Amino acid sequence: MEHGIVLKPEILGYFKSLPITNTLLVSWMAMAVLTIVSIIATWRVKIIPSGLQNFAEAVIDWGYSTVEGLSGKKTKVFFPLVMTFFLFILTVNWMGLLPGFGTITYKGEPLFRSVNSDLNMTLGLALLSAFLTHFFAVKYLGIKNYLLKWVALNPIFLFVGILEIISEFTKIVSLSFRLFGNIFAGEVVLSTVSGIFAFVVPLPFYFLEIIVGFVQAAVFAMLTLVFMILLSEKHEAH
Amino acid sequence: MDILNQFGINPLLLAAQVVNFFILLFILKRFLYKPVLKVLEERKKKIEDSLKNAEEIERKLQETNEKIDRMMVKTADEIQKMHDEAKKDRDVLKEEGKAEAQQLALQIIKKGEEQAKAEREKMQEELMSHMAEFVVAGMEKVIGKVLNEKAQREIVEKGIKNLS
Repeated sequence: MEHGIVLKPEILGYFKSLPITNTLLVSWMAMAVLTIVSIIATWRVKIIPSGLQNFAEAVIDWGYSTVEGLSGKKTKVFFPLVMTFFLFILTVNWMGLLPGFGTITYKGEPLFRSVNSDLNMTLGLALLSAFLTHFFAVKYLGIKNYLLKWVALNPIFLFVGILEIISEFTKIVSLSFRLFGNIFAGEVVLSTVSGIFAFVVPLPFYFLEIIVGFVQAAVFAMLTLVFMILLSEKHEAH
Repeated sequence: MDILNQFGINPLLLAAQVVNFFILLFILKRFLYKPVLKVLEERKKKIEDSLKNAEEIERKLQETNEKIDRMMVKTADEIQKMHDEAKKDRDVLKEEGKAEAQQLALQIIKKGEEQAKAEREKMQEELMSHMAEFVVAGMEKVIGKVLNEKAQREIVEKGIKNLS
């Protein structure tokens, strides 16, 4: 368990100049899992669902109605993004709890590591979330209205605009560090508890981590959704 | 930017993650969201249609039931009417039969009475004629001679009168 508490992801090798870290490997695996599951679930879509299709429908329906309840007309655009954030983060969080993570080593480094215990991954998602948020704001408001959100002639509102710009950056930081902190802390707790006594004792913490994994995925997705909705809404005239 | 270094931030990894996300987004859109949302929509429509159809069927069924009820009431009425008529007819027939029988009986009785009366009259006549003979014979014996026709008759008649 000497690898449990390291901030940096371990580099397994290089593809040209791209370092293949264990977290990147796991995120590819998670993508593969999601892809395979969705292809199987929708292999032959039947009007009377069964098995995996039933499950996929339940999940999608839940997600869609949640997004629809908040974003109304823009659901068609926002839903795929938000749902993908949610499904991806949920999958990698839960995959990180599987046995073999942190224990199987490759050239002295752990082969698998929970994706979100690497700030690269969470920051990547947070940056993307912020970029998409602003992209949709420009798309729905037009470039002029978008800029007017931040700049105003009134000195008070100019100051507010500056604060808002700062808050946009804090959003990125909070999104990325929240996810990273929760999952990394979970990893640390699990490896510590497993180090103390590996049988039965870590079980409650695993349950806890299952919940945390779900909650963090939901929080990230919902915050992204809310930011998108807020920013792409027309600014009230002052 | 020492802190970023400490966390092992690598722009290439960030980019890789963003690319990953877009690939996943594309795949899930193609294989998960689109087909599932489509089938959900389809099913919703189908259920709506089915419910509408069910309502229609229910309505028609009710109509048919009402029709049947009405028809049954009508039929029952008709049967009752026929029954009543039949009863009336039977009563009438019964009455007629009774009257006829009575009449017949009366006729028979009357006939019998007439017959009896006729018999009696006949007997009386006979008796009368016999009696006349007796009277004549008796007179002949008493008087000893035969009166002329006129006297004879007078006497006889007188005698009869006295007798009766």
